[in-house]
Amino acid sequence: MVNLLFYALAAVAVACALGVVAVRSPMQSVLNLLGSFVCLSVIYLLMGFQFMAAVQILVYAGAIMVLFLFVVMLLNLTDEPQRKSAFLELFDARVIAALAAFFGLVGVAIAVTGQTATKLATPGMVPEGGFDEIEALATILFSKYMLPFEAASLLLLATMVGVMLLAKRERAGRGETDQIGMDVHGGQS
Amino acid sequence: MIPTEALLLVAGLLFSIGTLGFLIRRNLIIVLASVELMLNAANLTFLAGSRIHGGPDGLLNVEGPIFALFVILVAACEAAIGLALVIAFYRQRQTVDLEAATELKG
Repeated sequence: MVNLLFYALAAVAVACALGVVAVRSPMQSVLNLLGSFVCLSVIYLLMGFQFMAAVQILVYAGAIMVLFLFVVMLLNLTDEPQRKSAFLELFDARVIAALAAFFGLVGVAIAVTGQTATKLATPGMVPEGGFDEIEALATILFSKYMLPFEAASLLLLATMVGVMLLAKRERAGRGETDQIGMDVHGGQS
Repeated sequence: MIPTEALLLVAGLLFSIGTLGFLIRRNLIIVLASVELMLNAANLTFLAGSRIHGGPDGLLNVEGPIFALFVILVAACEAAIGLALVIAFYRQRQTVDLEAATELKG
């Protein structure tokens, strides 16, 4: 039952991923991406990672998707123009590169799982759905991975400042007001 | 229990589809979406790997989810910066077509 559900979800996730790449309209492409994220979240749930499933929905389907949709709507994009002889272009170097990436990855995956097959966890050891994941995650995150955790806060701060700088409209001259209508020079004027 | 090979196969498929989109699409937003797809595939691989290696006390290994968490964090930062760059680019060129970015072309 779980396996059947997994294969169905995996098929939908891959189909949605193909939709992201193949669909012409940016809006539909981003909505396909959302479908792929949601399917992956349910796959995490089936694997027994409830917390990761929640984070996937909250961060990916919530925050990142809103960001994408916001930009697509803000820029009011039109569809990408049709290329001439799209079929012939299907077999250029870039497609071959993607295919090579796929087969390389699958090859490595097969090699790795074959090697470690002897020390795999026994199926009964990991209780599917019955494991206190959050407690274990928090314990290791705030002890062994404390430094990366703090570095992550720095990264978020840097991102925030960078995005504000990038998205701010360039000022025409001194004494102008910026985008949100605040006086740039504080209380001087 | 879902076979690990199937999980890795799905992750490989998602990653290569993301690679394909990154390489063949010219819309900057869809290129960024493809990168998100690739990062998701990496997350799935981390979780699959974590599931087959038991932790020290016989419980589930949580190093995989930790790494996936950090990947999600970096993905969020990357999406924010990338989309801000898209907006800046659009403001300058009135398009999001990658072909319009010819500033550094020799």
